[in-house]
Amino acid sequence: MHRDADRPSVLAILHDWVVTVDHKRLGLMYIASGLVFFLVAGSEAAIMRIQLALPNNHFVSPQVFNRMMTLHGTTMVFFVGMPILLGFANYLVPLMVGARDMAFPRLNAFSFWMSLFGACLLYFSFLGAEGLYGGGTAPDVGWFAYAPLTARAFSRGNSTDYWTLSLLVSGIGSIGTAVNLLATTLCLRCPGMTLGKMPLFVWLNFVVACMILIVISPLTAAQIMLTLDRFLGAHFFDTQAGGSAVLWQHFFWIFGHPEVYVLILPGFAFASEIIPVFSRKVIFGYPFMVAASVSIGFISLGVWAHHMFTVGMTPAGNTFFAVSTMIVGVPTGIKVFNWLATIWGGKIRFATPMLFCIGFLFQFLCAGLTGIMLSVAPFDWQLSDSYFVVAHFHYVLIGGLLFTIFGAIYYWFPKATGRRLDETLGRWHFWLFVVGFNLTFAPLHFAGMIGMPRRIYTYQPGRGFELWNQLASAGVVFQAAAIVFFLWNVVRSLVRGAPAGADPWDAWTLEWSTSSPPPPYNFETLPVVRSRRPLWDLKHPDDPDWRYE
Amino acid sequence: MASGGPGSIHAPAPTAAPLVTAFGVTLLLAGLVTSAIVSVVGVVAFVVGAVGWFREVLPREHEEEVALEPAAAIAPSPHAVQRLAAGTARHRARLPVEVYPYSAGIKGGIAGGIAMAALAVVHGLLAHRSPWYTINLLAAAGSSAMTNAPEAALSQFDAQALLLAFAIHAVLSVLVGLLYGALLPMFPWHPAFWGGLVAPLMWTGLIAAALDVVNPALNARIEWGWFVATQIAFGLVAGLVVARSSRIATFQHAPLAVRSGIETQDDR
Ligand code: HEM
Ligand SMILES: [Cu+2]
Repeated sequence: MHRDADRPSVLAILHDWVVTVDHKRLGLMYIASGLVFFLVAGSEAAIMRIQLALPNNHFVSPQVFNRMMTLHGTTMVFFVGMPILLGFANYLVPLMVGARDMAFPRLNAFSFWMSLFGACLLYFSFLGAEGLYGGGTAPDVGWFAYAPLTARAFSRGNSTDYWTLSLLVSGIGSIGTAVNLLATTLCLRCPGMTLGKMPLFVWLNFVVACMILIVISPLTAAQIMLTLDRFLGAHFFDTQAGGSAVLWQHFFWIFGHPEVYVLILPGFAFASEIIPVFSRKVIFGYPFMVAASVSIGFISLGVWAHHMFTVGMTPAGNTFFAVSTMIVGVPTGIKVFNWLATIWGGKIRFATPMLFCIGFLFQFLCAGLTGIMLSVAPFDWQLSDSYFVVAHFHYVLIGGLLFTIFGAIYYWFPKATGRRLDETLGRWHFWLFVVGFNLTFAPLHFAGMIGMPRRIYTYQPGRGFELWNQLASAGVVFQAAAIVFFLWNVVRSLVRGAPAGADPWDAWTLEWSTSSPPPPYNFETLPVVRSRRPLWDLKHPDDPDWRYE
Repeated sequence: MASGGPGSIHAPAPTAAPLVTAFGVTLLLAGLVTSAIVSVVGVVAFVVGAVGWFREVLPREHEEEVALEPAAAIAPSPHAVQRLAAGTARHRARLPVEVYPYSAGIKGGIAGGIAMAALAVVHGLLAHRSPWYTINLLAAAGSSAMTNAPEAALSQFDAQALLLAFAIHAVLSVLVGLLYGALLPMFPWHPAFWGGLVAPLMWTGLIAAALDVVNPALNARIEWGWFVATQIAFGLVAGLVVARSSRIATFQHAPLAVRSGIETQDDR
């Protein structure tokens, strides 16, 4: 890394970033690429919401709507959620365990580029799949790509292949990062940091890495089978030649459901770091939090077919998956109670990171309640593939994931840049987003209950859908405004934010013990840890934690 | 990663090899949907990247020296430690510091259950001139005969229904009582407020939403005024019984040896 006194050229800076193997820079690149794709996928959502604001609207054609829906879902899950989360893990895990870098720095760079190139491949379909090389442009089969929609007969041209290959490429990247995180957590912890003293953030990302290893394999297998179907005339999912569409669903959801937890657990990880610091209390029930996280990981592997209640499984199958789904609610409930107990009686500081975490607790509770409702198979028979489901999972993904991501950005921005984000702008961002998000998705519960199916590009007037959809589309305006505040805040603070110092929040984990931004080697001498809050011990020599643990 | 000389530290050297390798893999696959030439370029890039990567780590890992920067110093915190409800030992309290014994919850559940049943029977007598009416309605949750019974049959004594209703009522009362015992010490203000009023109102809302599925017979005939009254009676009585029993301190201030049940000798 060149740190010359005379100013390096833009090209030299760019070169530095492109060839870097430093986990912090890679983490930031992950997060930045995720944010860029967030704007893209958000615009796609806005297009869908404009189209649905009025009945019989002709803003976009049905084909374009399907493409927007597919790209929005795929991008949000694979190229927004995953990269941002893996980016935070990349940045923070080595710092939190007191290591100098990830276990395999070059594999780390490779993984990042794979996921970025995977995303590019998906969007390249706009150029490549029609015009140049045959019919169809962007994929239009939904992020779940149900068979037989993906069969050659129904999906001509190469659009579906772009989808498949893009997930294959980025999947390799995710597996690389997962291996790297596991190795880093297991092998590079600093002296004294036993498994029981790791921050919850590290624990949760450990569980996530295990889950990625387990669930990307069925996804990859399914993609390869689909590629064989489409290129070599195999018939795995071709229902007309004896293949099975339900087989695809099993493959897809055995990946797809745990994937939701791969996205949510890091959200839990952010909350578990932020809430105690801003409540000025130790996290309540650390061992229970760890146990609950591990069991969420396990149980979520056994619930996938709750996405398939309506394919007509046996009653025994339905019962099993309904019950196992409800059981995931238990460890999740434990975690929510532990966060509440951490807040309760604490000296709370309502800074922006904390606001987003409190928002998360509230929204995620709503999501959990509608989730338990949907896990009741007969209820799901009524509401499956209705807008109720769309409302539910956006409460999960936005309430659980996006809120905590925003919280995490406000919390760790000073560490990564040495400057703080502006609190006033942060508050605008928070409140506009809360209002906008609820205005968008709460009404959709009702639209779903009165029968509005999901994945439709328009609807007839007079069914009672208009009001709910107009409210929802109005909400998007607020959300967009919130994002404008956020981006403005980031840009402004990068240039002239208040200097942060090493430890702006008076926090307790190791990343705050090094300077902001941390030097390339993280720690000059590796730290030695005696409790779960090493920084507390240093700041309160008269009353350190290790006396009690 | 070894430390460098004085004033510097060794870190892995930057390299473009992983980027080139990743680009190669992507092009290799993208060739499937574009043209074979793309795949060929991909293979070439992959080989170039892989060779470059091997040479970065073999025979010896390629490292660069990074100059040390002045490190951040950690100052002692200006904030004093506050203790929540000081216990006997010097320890940061975990809430709640005191809880009710499980037995209090069970007793509360039984007492609340009796109060609720008495009120329900009174309601049956006053509104339907039969003490059995409400009992039979409750039994309908578990008996299809009762679910489909006509209005008149609901006012008649039925041994099986009585038994069923008793079992349902007893189990639920004790379980809810236990829940009370566990939750009440977590709430601020007087237990009567939470246990007597808020909690019954909340679960009545829940029941109102779900009753249709759980007990359709009850749902069809329910009189909500009375229903809410019986729930509040349960909440008040159970809450009072629990709140009046004496609290016990949790073990959190005890030393580890005591908590884990190991016998230690007193130095007195
Ligand atoms: C920020 C505001 C957002 C809006 C306004 C929005 C809107 C929408 C709309 C209108 C649909 C189509 C529903 C249908 O027709 O079935 C949709 C689908 C979807 N959204 Fe979002 N969304 C937002 C954010 C997110 C986020 C943050 C995620 C995930 C991290 C996400 C993941 C999905 C997925 C997976 C689908 C399903 C796509 C499919 O069925 O193929 N969305 N969203
Ligand atoms: Cu699921």
